Amino acid sequence: MSAAPERSQVPVYCYQCVAGPDLLKVEVAGDVALRVAPNFDCAAEHPGGGKVCVKAYGLVQKTYNPHRIRQPMMRTNPRKGRDQDPGFVPISWDEALTLVADRLRAVREQGLVDERGYPRLAASFGGGGTPTQYMGTFPAFLSAWGPVDLGFGSGQGVKCYHSEHLYGELWHRAFIVSPDTPLCRFVLSFGNNTDASSGVAGVARHAEARARGLRRIQIEPHLSISAALASEWVPIRPKTDAAFLYAMLHRILIERDWRICCDLPFLGRDTNAPYLVGPNGYFLRDPESKKPLVWDQNGGCTRPQDAPIGRPLLDGTVRAGGVEIGPDGQVWRHEEVEVSTAFRKLIDHLRPYSPDWAAAECEVPADTIRRIADEFVTQARVGETVVIDGVTLPYRPVAVILGKTVNNGWGGFEATWGRTLLACLVGALEVPGGTLGTNVKLNRPADDRHATVTPTADGFMAYPFNATDRAGWQSKPHIRNAYRTLVPLAANSAWSPALGPAHLPWLFLKAPPERWPAPTRPAVWFCYRTNPAISFWDTEAVAERIAEFPFVVAFAYTRDETNHMADILLPEAGDLEGLQLIPIGTTKFIEQFWTRRGWAIRQPAGASPVDCRDMTDIATELARRLGLLEAYNQAINRGAAGVALKGEDYDYGLEPHLLHDRDAIWDRACRAASHALTDGKQVRDLAWFKAHGAMTVPFPQLRWYLYPTLKAKGLRFELPYQERLLRHGSELGNRLHESGIAWWDKQLGEYQALPAYKRFPEIFVEYAREVGRDPAEFPFWALTARSMQYSWGANAGLPLIDEMARNIAGHSGVIVNADTAAKLGIAEGDPVEIESVVGRTHGHATLRQGIRPDTIVMIGQFDHWAMPVAKDFGRASLNPLMPMALSLTDATGSGSDTVRVALRRGSGPRRAEP
Amino acid sequence: MSAVAATRRWGMAIDLDRCVGCQTCAVACKHANDTPLGIQWRRVLDVELGKFPDVARLFLPVGCQHCDDPPCVPVCPSGATRRRADGIVTQDYDLCIGCGYCAVSCPYGARSIDHAPRGYFGAALTRQEGAVAHDERRGVAQKCTFCVERIDRGLARGLVPGVDPEATPACAAACIAGAMTFGDLADPASPVARLLAANPGTVLNGPLGAGPNLRYFTRAPSADIALAMPATSPLTGRRQRRWDIRAVANFGLGGSGSGLAAVASAFGLFGLLDRSAILLLHLLAAGLIAAGLTAVWFEIGRMERLLNALRRPRSSWMSREMYVVGALFAALGAEWLWPGPESTGLVGLLALAFLYCQARILTAAKGIPAWRPRAMRWLLLASGLAEGCGWLALGNALLPFAPDLTAPLGLAMILAAAALATLWPIYWREAVAGGLGDGAKREIAGLMPAMLGIGQVLPAMLAAGALLASGLVALALSGIAGAILVVGGLCWKYAVIVDASHVQDLILPQVPRRGSGRLAALPSEPVEVRPS
Repeated sequence: MSAAPERSQVPVYCYQCVAGPDLLKVEVAGDVALRVAPNFDCAAEHPGGGKVCVKAYGLVQKTYNPHRIRQPMMRTNPRKGRDQDPGFVPISWDEALTLVADRLRAVREQGLVDERGYPRLAASFGGGGTPTQYMGTFPAFLSAWGPVDLGFGSGQGVKCYHSEHLYGELWHRAFIVSPDTPLCRFVLSFGNNTDASSGVAGVARHAEARARGLRRIQIEPHLSISAALASEWVPIRPKTDAAFLYAMLHRILIERDWRICCDLPFLGRDTNAPYLVGPNGYFLRDPESKKPLVWDQNGGCTRPQDAPIGRPLLDGTVRAGGVEIGPDGQVWRHEEVEVSTAFRKLIDHLRPYSPDWAAAECEVPADTIRRIADEFVTQARVGETVVIDGVTLPYRPVAVILGKTVNNGWGGFEATWGRTLLACLVGALEVPGGTLGTNVKLNRPADDRHATVTPTADGFMAYPFNATDRAGWQSKPHIRNAYRTLVPLAANSAWSPALGPAHLPWLFLKAPPERWPAPTRPAVWFCYRTNPAISFWDTEAVAERIAEFPFVVAFAYTRDETNHMADILLPEAGDLEGLQLIPIGTTKFIEQFWTRRGWAIRQPAGASPVDCRDMTDIATELARRLGLLEAYNQAINRGAAGVALKGEDYDYGLEPHLLHDRDAIWDRACRAASHALTDGKQVRDLAWFKAHGAMTVPFPQLRWYLYPTLKAKGLRFELPYQERLLRHGSELGNRLHESGIAWWDKQLGEYQALPAYKRFPEIFVEYAREVGRDPAEFPFWALTARSMQYSWGANAGLPLIDEMARNIAGHSGVIVNADTAAKLGIAEGDPVEIESVVGRTHGHATLRQGIRPDTIVMIGQFDHWAMPVAKDFGRASLNPLMPMALSLTDATGSGSDTVRVALRRGSGPRRAEP
Repeated sequence: MSAVAATRRWGMAIDLDRCVGCQTCAVACKHANDTPLGIQWRRVLDVELGKFPDVARLFLPVGCQHCDDPPCVPVCPSGATRRRADGIVTQDYDLCIGCGYCAVSCPYGARSIDHAPRGYFGAALTRQEGAVAHDERRGVAQKCTFCVERIDRGLARGLVPGVDPEATPACAAACIAGAMTFGDLADPASPVARLLAANPGTVLNGPLGAGPNLRYFTRAPSADIALAMPATSPLTGRRQRRWDIRAVANFGLGGSGSGLAAVASAFGLFGLLDRSAILLLHLLAAGLIAAGLTAVWFEIGRMERLLNALRRPRSSWMSREMYVVGALFAALGAEWLWPGPESTGLVGLLALAFLYCQARILTAAKGIPAWRPRAMRWLLLASGLAEGCGWLALGNALLPFAPDLTAPLGLAMILAAAALATLWPIYWREAVAGGLGDGAKREIAGLMPAMLGIGQVLPAMLAAGALLASGLVALALSGIAGAILVVGGLCWKYAVIVDASHVQDLILPQVPRRGSGRLAALPSEPVEVRPS
């Protein structure tokens, strides 16, 4: 009898979704990974108690999935398309890397950018940045390579919180916004599916908050997981969230006495509410310093915003002199002119948006809106304070959060502005209990949002706008989605390509707009942990474009709809097979607020059942074969793989000219990371991290709040008045019009100092006319919802996850209001067909009461036709229905994840009951 | 195994305000317990209440309730299912025969039998699946064990279940919302006991009296949610699938066979049947009983362990049925060897005992509201005797062996039909009062008129006709009445055992106040605006 295999518990991290990372242990017997369990060693440190969510339990099955790509494969059929058999044949790793390196070498010889100025190499990664946590040193390879087009979207813009990302970073360094859940008492959630998509930490924090009495009101068309847990569900008409928010603002500022309701010191000292606005819509400024002026009621005169101001005038109109600075350096000088405060402008702006007006728009009773606005004010506890880490701060336990489809596409700006302004009215922005940001992706440095707070003369935080002035505007896009050209707010960080109009490359490849350098197909496209052929909007069109790409290298787990078009499949080491060190702790999206910071490791747990390679080894080998080894090693040393190997007082850098294997690279990374973390007191090597899993040191809770940092620097939040946006928008319009470009005009209309409500539902209803169809043909709103079991998980092909997900309604069918279904002759489990102006999808009906009669919901992203297991689900998906169009693209380059559809009983068998 | 302390009583408090339905508990259970595709010892139901625009949604973790008086335990014929002194209901896979009796007895639908476990990707197991496969669970009952091995191992290491995650059931330890608190309900200082002291909550299906040890609580219970459930609600009991036509064969053939044996003995003892007729009829009865038992033998998951069903005669009517049938066949053999009124009487008594065992078997299955009413016992007894008369009448019509039997047999059939006609309404009232679900109600309500008209009134009229007629006509009428009673018996048993076998609905008397419209939880404090 053979001895029982040796058992061990291997600590790793799970960062499958953006709400991670979470920490777990994998039970391994011999060389087989058996089971997943929480890592309770980290229970006191991890905000989710060392636990992982349902997705992480799929990792073992993910490893042993028999449908995995078992070795590198090469396409033999030169024709590409959904209807073509790729004819993949196995090849060795050496052959595969030779083929890739040869092609890349040819590209380098041809030139890194093509004749139109676009990079010849492109790469797409999915999952809100999470692939970086799995791709080892591959970013260092891209860095060593040179220009790479990272702007071919694979979900970005339409599947993310796009407006929040951009405006959130502008206003309060909030790439993602979160309530200060542990201290919050009242949350208004407009479609934010917190309890399904905020990860382990988010679920834990909200559950704890509910247990102590947090009230959450969920305002959305469908009774989602989160609405189920909320105190109240308000079934609002889709895309009217901004109207609801504006009506709340109206209620507080106009129907109630704002002098009683609002946090006046906050508005007066910490926002631009008292700034005087000139007749041209720009701040009235001091003629000398050019600083915005505030009316001091004590002296009865104007003072620069940063001068000592006794009693700033909030609401009023005065006569004063100064200058206005408009777009392109235009200056208006005023000796004495009637000017209003931004706050007065705001009140006037909001006057039309009463609760009674919103009731008709949102199909929510006006009294409900009033009650919720009143409760928001009451719960804000204006005037109260709390002590955090020995510092007394305002305590404002109210927050507003927005979900996907609310805060992207048209209406996203207005909803985001309304939300952040609501927080400002009661002083609840970036203070304990209130609305907080978690991290930054556009501002720098990326690892500390407080360090990004640098001042402008206007008294706001500086922001790395893409230039719109004549000298600085990038008239010729440097990558195909043109984020630096079209979206000033997208900034220019490593994340910016994904935060521009990431669908434009796909759209413009088919039909380039006028007076625009038509995008070219990249000579080589890398595709890693993403599947845009099913995960984007108008997926059929995206798949067609991918099929036109000349050379696609897909890092491939199983066959899927995107790598169906690939030339080379490279099976990279999976979640439980690779080695990588990542930063943990501080504050991360979505609700990861830690009181620790440090590093965690992912390491092989058992032997891989396939012939895969670690991403670090692949990157190193490609760098070596292309003669980029030195640049690659130097990029790693700089921190391109997440850990800077050299610091002010340490140097664990790789010798640039030498070839280093995976373990050697990450050993250096472990030493450097632990050195920097502990000021050299505890330097830990790879073996230590493998044994212990993670290393952390304290991180003060005070750092969760940006308000003290702004106060320390004498800065204000840039709300309510958006002078900078107005100026950038005007300048951008000038530049585009000077170039003869008029197709972005609708987007330019979004640049308003005080955004007007624009009847957003009509944009989606009326789109049918643009393509020659009658809107009456499409009477329903189609929406999607995040799924705890699937979102970001790259796990659609795992039957274990399917088994779990089926316990939750909607995973095996299209959610339809039961009465609506009855009128259409649709019964539970019946086949249904859903049609939009661009496509059709098919599934089975799941009848529910918790959904508006005019709305249907398709959870997750399915409609697979190549991925094993998933292609047999027969599930409907929103994505093939979503028209990709400029008219549905907002100024930030995103689209709302919604479409108008027709619903009818389909043909075929009813859904089989389990 | 270490001695189990009787002073402990393990249980779980489930916080309905926390559970988000994420299924982490369910999948953690699958990992910790290596359950295959389709088997979920722990799962979370997604429940909708109300009607748009007044609607709420609730997530309800369910599984074995580790009851104080678990209905699954006494019925188990093999002793595989036991309740430990600390309250954990355990399952011995090596003893279990896979009869499914525990499964139909559980009012919480907590038990599963996987007759042919397969991998998640098909018949071939992955390397990992092969490494964690449990062949001992093939074809036997399985369910949540509160991760008893973790508890026992943890206690042995000095850990505290419910406090130390390693000693806590995997679902509770893994729950990311902190919705499941496990621990010792008998220890007032335990976290679970303290939690329940502050939030007493309620239990699922409390009126059934099983004493479940999963308690569900919410801090803000709703008083006015109508719990009318659509057929698609996961709380609504679906038809059980474990006892199928093979079980019907046992209750049908076995019931009528034992009824025939008893009736033949009775008529024989009264001198209305001669010796050879008695022996022949008893042979037929034995054949019917054997056929029924053979059919049900094919239904059990581990046929080779049939004799394990003899292990629990103290409480299981299935064990008792086994003993009785053994004695019955012995008596039948004795009757062949030593014919006489003693042996005939003994066969009759044992046949009645067998019939009674069958009646008790079905009514002890507390998980099926259509089976468990006490009136069902008398229905099965009456029907068995009616069918026995039916077989006798049918046989006498086809192969006249007792011409004088027609009148008394007709009278007996009329009495039996009258008894059935009387019992059905009693059963119906009892079943409805006992929580018969809508699905089963529809089935039985649809069955009863046919039963009354065709199953009882018609054979009674035919039997009455036989009483008035004579000769071949009387024999024919009697035979037709008998055939209807036999077929009718089989039909209603099929209808009740298969068509109306919906498992107990899950009824939770207290749900959280939340949702839309009238169901929404409005602010408890008046909304006032205070000066800043």
